[in-house]
Amino acid sequence: MKVDRRSFLSFILGGAAGTALSPLPWKLTDDFSIWSQNWPWTPVPQKGEISYVNSACTLCPGGCGISVKKVDERVIKIEGLKGHPVNDGGLCILGLAGAQLLYGATRIQTPIKKVNGRWQKLSWKEAITELAARLKELRAKGSAHTVACVAGSDRGTVPELFSRFLAVYGSPNFFRTPSIWDSYELALYLTQGTRSMAGFDIENADFILSFGSGLIEGWGSPGYMFRAKGLLRKNGGRMDQIESRLSKTAAKSDHWIAINPGTEGALALGLAYVIIKEGLYNQNFIDQYTTGFSDRKKRVIDGFPPEIVSKMTGISTGTIVALAKDFARARKPLAICGQGQGHLPGNLQEFLAVHTLNALVGNINQPGGVWAVPEPDYIDWPELEMDGVASEGLQQTRIDGAGSYRYPNARYLLHRLPQVVNASDESPVQVLFVVDANPVYSLQDTASVKKAFEKIPFVVSFSSYMNETTALADLVLPNHVFLERYEDVPVAYGFPKPIIGLARPAIEPLYNTRYVGDVVIQLAKELGHAIGAAFPWADYATCLEETLSDNWDTLVEEGYVVDAEFNGTDLADAFETDSAKFEFNNNEIRTLAGYNPVKAEGDEASYPLLLVPYDTMRLASGYVGSPPFLVKALEDTILTGSQVLVEVNPATAKQLGLSEGKTANLTTPKGAARVKVHLSNGIMPGVVAIPRGLGHTAYDKFLAGKGVNYNQLSSPVEDPASGHDAAWGIRAKLSRA
Amino acid sequence: MENAKKFGMVIDLDKCTGCGACMVACMAENNIPFRADNTDKMLSISWMHVYKLNNRKLFPDYEECYLPRPCQHCEGHGGHSPCVSVCPATATDYDMDTGIVSQIYPRCFGCRYCMAACPYHVRQFNWWDPLWPDGMEKMLNPSVSVRMRGVVEKCSFCIQRYQQAKDRAYMEGRREIAEDEYQTACTQACPAGAIVFGDLNNPEHAVHQLAQPDPARHGHSKNPRAFRLLERLGTNTKIYYLSSREWVRKAGDNYLEGEFKSKAHS
Amino acid sequence: MDSALIPKGVKRCPAWQFIMWIGANGAVLTWGVFALLLVYFKGLNQTNMNNAYGFALWIWADLAVIALGGGAFFTGFLRYIVGKDELKNIINYAVLIGFICYSSALMILGFDIGQPLRGWFIFWHANVHSMLTEVAFCLTAYFGVLAIEYAPLVFENRMIKKVPFFHNLSHNMHEIMAVFAATGAFLSFFHQGSLGGVPGVLFGRPFGFREGVLVWPWTFFLFTWSAAAAGPCFTILITKITEAVTRKKLVKDNVIDLLAKISGWMLFFYIIAKIGDTLYWANVTAPSKGSTFMDFYTSSSGSAYGLWILFAEIGVCGVLPALILIIPKLRKTQATLWLAVILAVIGLCLNRWVMVLQVLAIPVLTFESWFTYFPSWQEIATTILPVAYGVIMISTSYRYLPIFPQERELNPIDEPAAPPEVAESEPEPTDAGPEPELSPAES
Repeated sequence: MKVDRRSFLSFILGGAAGTALSPLPWKLTDDFSIWSQNWPWTPVPQKGEISYVNSACTLCPGGCGISVKKVDERVIKIEGLKGHPVNDGGLCILGLAGAQLLYGATRIQTPIKKVNGRWQKLSWKEAITELAARLKELRAKGSAHTVACVAGSDRGTVPELFSRFLAVYGSPNFFRTPSIWDSYELALYLTQGTRSMAGFDIENADFILSFGSGLIEGWGSPGYMFRAKGLLRKNGGRMDQIESRLSKTAAKSDHWIAINPGTEGALALGLAYVIIKEGLYNQNFIDQYTTGFSDRKKRVIDGFPPEIVSKMTGISTGTIVALAKDFARARKPLAICGQGQGHLPGNLQEFLAVHTLNALVGNINQPGGVWAVPEPDYIDWPELEMDGVASEGLQQTRIDGAGSYRYPNARYLLHRLPQVVNASDESPVQVLFVVDANPVYSLQDTASVKKAFEKIPFVVSFSSYMNETTALADLVLPNHVFLERYEDVPVAYGFPKPIIGLARPAIEPLYNTRYVGDVVIQLAKELGHAIGAAFPWADYATCLEETLSDNWDTLVEEGYVVDAEFNGTDLADAFETDSAKFEFNNNEIRTLAGYNPVKAEGDEASYPLLLVPYDTMRLASGYVGSPPFLVKALEDTILTGSQVLVEVNPATAKQLGLSEGKTANLTTPKGAARVKVHLSNGIMPGVVAIPRGLGHTAYDKFLAGKGVNYNQLSSPVEDPASGHDAAWGIRAKLSRA
Repeated sequence: MENAKKFGMVIDLDKCTGCGACMVACMAENNIPFRADNTDKMLSISWMHVYKLNNRKLFPDYEECYLPRPCQHCEGHGGHSPCVSVCPATATDYDMDTGIVSQIYPRCFGCRYCMAACPYHVRQFNWWDPLWPDGMEKMLNPSVSVRMRGVVEKCSFCIQRYQQAKDRAYMEGRREIAEDEYQTACTQACPAGAIVFGDLNNPEHAVHQLAQPDPARHGHSKNPRAFRLLERLGTNTKIYYLSSREWVRKAGDNYLEGEFKSKAHS
Repeated sequence: MDSALIPKGVKRCPAWQFIMWIGANGAVLTWGVFALLLVYFKGLNQTNMNNAYGFALWIWADLAVIALGGGAFFTGFLRYIVGKDELKNIINYAVLIGFICYSSALMILGFDIGQPLRGWFIFWHANVHSMLTEVAFCLTAYFGVLAIEYAPLVFENRMIKKVPFFHNLSHNMHEIMAVFAATGAFLSFFHQGSLGGVPGVLFGRPFGFREGVLVWPWTFFLFTWSAAAAGPCFTILITKITEAVTRKKLVKDNVIDLLAKISGWMLFFYIIAKIGDTLYWANVTAPSKGSTFMDFYTSSSGSAYGLWILFAEIGVCGVLPALILIIPKLRKTQATLWLAVILAVIGLCLNRWVMVLQVLAIPVLTFESWFTYFPSWQEIATTILPVAYGVIMISTSYRYLPIFPQERELNPIDEPAAPPEVAESEPEPTDAGPEPELSPAES
């Protein structure tokens, strides 16, 4: 057949028309569009059986109950545990993002050691043998006391295993990371004679007077405080916040009273003056349950009339008087203190002053008051058998001087460790264990802390993550993360009732990690003799179950054991002082240096501004780094790109020639950083505020290199009364970049 | 429809602490992607966003308030929400049975007209491929599909939870689900208990009691503490906010001078 | 070299010059295509759009280019329906410009979507309530009409015409062109209006929202009207530019004058309507939503959305060109005619900008602030791409097709063999850079 042009064209046109009318092109386009939605890099989550594991969160000492949602053997979400006495279903932002910490990219997957500056994997057996050999050698040299341990807590089986290990090995150098609870414990001990924890019955109070405590920003147990603050409001209670910056807590209070930072204690004393002078105190309580009131009265009346306090604090006398009256006249007034989330112990006299306010209104161990919550007593291990080396080692003074003549009241002074190490020719610490802590990031004056850690010959980190401290370690023995392990949660900070929680593994460990408790037990066994004998358990699981024996079944079933009936100890038995009363004054208190506002480091001429750190729930600033969800949820007035914004009052900014979003140089006596400026009327003129929790050098791209770590700009200031770190800020200058 | 539900929310701004737990609970529940830099909020996806409002006064009279903003699930007048009617590909829908504005991701072709239509910035675009760092894809919730680059997404009132609750009820031979059986992730997570969720049509539900919607006035609340965002535009939203502060209630909408009348006597 | 393709009786520049000219524009085109590929493969993150600016430069370009292409439908409407016969001398060019504008618009729409491979869902899963659906359908249909209107012109090419099929087809199409023109006008009235409806129906955006008749907001009518008014100005402008570039008179003054006069009166009444709309909106619509007129304009100096933009759009680029075009003396003066058509085109573009970008820039929630946006280079390159494409289309069509029926009459060639020196010593000012002259008109 001859194909002429006409028939060819007809064929083409007809064919095109026919194809267009057939389902073929539509089918192909549809297939194409479906295919285009299935890029291999867009994950498709696998379906599976959904289950929940009830556990406890150990990301902070809040003691919240969690419900871990799983699909087959994957953790997909963490939710608050409904009905839990602490958080009752609610959960903080960090807890909610917890699964990202399980699957995070910076997890350490196996033991590693540093050889010539590079990480090398090794087996658990090798790691423990190597560490044991080093410890044996030190002990043989009579240097047992040069082994130290830094832990996030001193309660619960894991910290107790460590302090037990140190004791039987022969070292007194167990450290707990600093916090306001150092001061609270001390204030309770000095006035009430009890070794106990402060609990706050916020929900039953009707007037919370907070001296800068971030009640809804991570102070105490966030899960409880959030809930309690809501209940306070529901019950018609009032809350006043005294702080130089309008924190979220201040914003959610009935009144925000701006105060010159660092003078909170003066205000507390000024309020006491008014209450005493006007006779507004609880006469009955003072008469029946206290001693030393007249001493206290004299000290307050002589030193802190409202005019003087007004000058110190920048608060008008009218406000001081009115506040004191409102507080004293409230039915259940409760004063609390400790800045922000409470990362720094603060000024002991301030804590005593605030605690005294509660005593003046008689709100101690009362509903809606402050309660001395007994320490957990379930750890009842066999008495230690000390050998000679151990006894000798324990005779040595602690490296930080805590408990010595100079610091008779302090138990741990970790902030002094870098100073002491740096000041010695040879490091007084030869081996340092770090567990549940990240001191290189969280201690003030980062440069000096780093120097000290580099000087310590052998640092062993038990961290699950490659954080700043671990990066400087010599040996890393990674722990399971909180969703992979059993652990007792002996306390919920600030929660008014004794409670024990149990963290339970939601899934099998993902990597070649190991219980810290197991490592300690194995290490002890490797060292043998009296040390090995002090750890009679086969492994940590056995130790835990035996330790919690009475409560174990309840814990496994419910996830917690709470003394729900606890309502504060009866006042007649509450005080363990010599007088068996609340002591406004006694021999120990008398020897303390009197109240003076702690001065920020730096001279005013070179550093005209005050730099204060602030806490936000959207940044984890403890030993856990913020997971990606937290950084994502961070406000753009805190972080933009990788630059942090500092808050400045517009009036101050105007003087400095700075405007919103401008880059500036922030300089303190300890360091300098480039920041951006965020103007806010929620901050006092002359004060610059910077968030805690940024400026990480470790972790992944979601966190590392963003913003500035406040600690690298600041340094500790020793509290003359306790020796604790009482710094609340540092002098600074801000200039256009 | 006789038994039509109208799911809605009451957010008590007096209780809200601005902590952000709702945002993260939502991210974890709904497989929200994250990137190394999420600081440009207009490029970052967050179905729930917490705004920071202030009273525009100087120190020390300055006040702040935090306002969580999920999708407002506008009903408009008769289901005519601003975004649903404009979608050219019927990729979003106003469900008359639940009052939920849904989004069909594989249908959306990313024209972004709905984003232009929404005054709340609730609708957000997948500017990038959603990628999870190695291992973190294990966290993904199989009940919620992962979106692809180039489509718009938004808060769904955790509709998967409604589905699951209904399935469970069906299995147990019940026709109705109880109030607490269907709660959104943000409601459940809020540690301050500021969010209440339920059926606005059901007088027994807490949301109804708090919101007190007036059917004669397109759901306008009879509660003097309550307000809705941009109510005057006729969006007829299903998120009611409570505040005892007048300036906060006033910030919820645009008013000409002298036009705002405080309902509350506080 | 290509002389066999060039229409008889007209003079064109030498082939090398033409090739260089096309090459230069091709380079710009290639740059645009490169940006387009980046956008296509990497996604819309290549733009500076964000969740506040879901619509930005591209949508503006779309709206503007379609409005400017409105010269095609309105000239066609006048020529075929109203019966203004003189316009047959410019209708070809109007159709070509329309064709370029509409094809550009479709192309931009093709990559301005997050999932281009699913773009056809707009037809497949069409939501009849959406203004965009209406736009998509009418736009595509009208693009087809324009192609049909343009096709006979292509068949007029000397070589193509030799094929009897095309010759006859072309002839037959001419016969029924009025039907297509009418269809085109009908479609255009609707999709120009629908584009106006795009911001007009946004009741969540008080700056864009307008009341109206039935389902159509006032912007529906204003957009159609303004496209009909200023579209022909664009046709005139491009014609004038082409005349300037080719240094030839291509269309007689009476034709231009007629179109300019009609355009002027259209613009005049449009601007009255627009002022009325603005007043009603500022005094009734906006206050009913709790906003004052000044809430929509920033007072800070140097802002993109100060009141100046309103004065520029309505006053300088609305009232002024309308007055020039309706006053015969000014209309017939070349300088003022130029000024008027340029201003009218700018005014139209400004209107589309304001109705898309400013709508999104304005904070509606009281606790938000103005949103800012500046396009990325990828957006700019892809927006310039259609300009280069338009120049190439026009240049090629002009060279090979008898677009201007009056060209031969106005530019008689006495000797078939024109002295080559003339061409060489007096090259057409192609290298002199007509591109910048063209670009503002098309963009």
